[in-house]
Amino acid sequence: MTAQMFFIGFFGLAGVWFGIVVFRTYSMVRSALALLFSQTALGAMFLSMQAEFLGVLQIMMMATEMSIMAIFMVMFMMDPGGLGTMDMTHQKRLSLITGFVSFVAAVAVAVFVDWGPVATTFPDAAQQTVDLGLELLNRSMLIFEMAGVTILTAMIAATAVAIQPLKRGKEK
Amino acid sequence: MTTLLIVLLLLVGAYFVAVLEAWISRGRFQLAAPLLAGIALLGRESIVPRKPDRIFFEVGPILLLLSALLAAAVIPLTPNLIIADLATGALFVNAALVYVLVALLMAGWGPDGAYAMIGGWRFLGQLIAYAMLIVMPITAVAMRAESLLSTQIVISQADLWNIVYQPLGFILFFVASMALAFLPPFDMMIAKGELAGGVEAEYTGVRLAVFRLGRLVLIVTLAAATVIFYLGGWQGPWLPPWAWSAIKILAVTVAMLLAGRYMPRIREAHLLSWCWILGIPLALTNILIVGVLVLEFP
Amino acid sequence: MSPELIIALISGAALFGVGIYGALSQTNLVMIMMGVELILAGAMVNLVAFWRYLHPDNPAGQMFVLIIMTVMAIEMAVGFGVAIARFRAKGSVEMEEATELKG
Repeated sequence: MTAQMFFIGFFGLAGVWFGIVVFRTYSMVRSALALLFSQTALGAMFLSMQAEFLGVLQIMMMATEMSIMAIFMVMFMMDPGGLGTMDMTHQKRLSLITGFVSFVAAVAVAVFVDWGPVATTFPDAAQQTVDLGLELLNRSMLIFEMAGVTILTAMIAATAVAIQPLKRGKEK
Repeated sequence: MTTLLIVLLLLVGAYFVAVLEAWISRGRFQLAAPLLAGIALLGRESIVPRKPDRIFFEVGPILLLLSALLAAAVIPLTPNLIIADLATGALFVNAALVYVLVALLMAGWGPDGAYAMIGGWRFLGQLIAYAMLIVMPITAVAMRAESLLSTQIVISQADLWNIVYQPLGFILFFVASMALAFLPPFDMMIAKGELAGGVEAEYTGVRLAVFRLGRLVLIVTLAAATVIFYLGGWQGPWLPPWAWSAIKILAVTVAMLLAGRYMPRIREAHLLSWCWILGIPLALTNILIVGVLVLEFP
Repeated sequence: MSPELIIALISGAALFGVGIYGALSQTNLVMIMMGVELILAGAMVNLVAFWRYLHPDNPAGQMFVLIIMTVMAIEMAVGFGVAIARFRAKGSVEMEEATELKG
């Protein structure tokens, strides 16, 4: 039992626990912030796996994303504070079974596959960042550009869908 | 040991910020006033509102203080006085400071009060305005240093400070960090005359003391971040490094507080349109200019 | 075979399972999106674990994580766009009521 093993297990457990809390609480803001802490725990897990850049990036990105999620929850829910205990689920048994089966299947694959030799050496954090930057702007540049263009498309599409439709005959 | 020293220095800095803020806004220089106010707050009754979201109510102020302290962990005050010289330091400052938003959302939602909640959501609107203006200038700074290490960023400014090398980035970062620290004129979420104290409205006693302390530490942290990104950190002639750090941080803090004194409050909707229509193109221009400069005059 | 790798993979699998449960069982569009985020997070954990323990010398593994973060952001943007449009048109984003496309 090494320290690294402990931290990976601890943050993994925290991530999964907050992930469960997301669907168990009635308060919508709590639900969104539980998702945030789940993602932050995963960021800490990346840090304990020595993927420093990814860990910090995850912690940074998710805070903004999930806070925005929280305000959308408040906007679109009938009972954002969770004062009444309204049931907001359907096909509960089916979902439970499907979720559990997929979990077991994924665990079975993880345990029974021979993953081959485990790498012992790995680049240090500064070297990782350099490598990742070179990878992004060198070999994988096209994919990276594609991601950028896709985000642009998504931004335009989302704005176009969400924008207030113009009222005919009524000047602004 | 280093950790303790830096936390202590931050607290001293926060105290000076409190004195300065009172001096600038009320025109009276009273060295003991924040101490007395703090003691008075500690002695006062801590009122818990009816039906609070208890977890958020308690965690909000503490998270605010914690995120400001965490961001300070990667800021070097002298070449050796730094808690953790992370390989992703410049990014980490940002990552820790995003949790200021989370703290304010929690503190706003927790007490179950209308003014506090509106204050919290206002800060979300403000974040969407300033977030890009924090990240993009830092990108340009890291481009010049060719590293995300905060010590490396300071060393890269040995010949020429970044404020001269990329003045555009400095202005944007300065304004954005004022918005991040919800200093006036961007203090719509805690303004006394606007929302009856906004996020602070429902807090009393010890919790309010922690909240205010967190805000002061946040201001010091942001001033220190501005110093290491744009004003050459500890570098300077004649004086020892720690003195230069202290002088520069003090100067930036005074500049931040003074700048807000003479401006009308800006609504977050207006801030959003200004930042996205004017600020982000300027930030991208800044990245382009710095890129050309770095390639042409290495 | 490294125990760290297995622990990380099991965490990823558990997140995936929770995400599937959430995406299937919730009736609200925003909650369904939360489930999808958890599924993607599970995938991300697996990718980081594979990169760290099997191929640390190849940064392409880290790049995939960045791509997944992009996918998460896109999913949020488009999902909220759809949610706003639907809320404006129908006054709610309950997916039980969204039966227009049902055959």
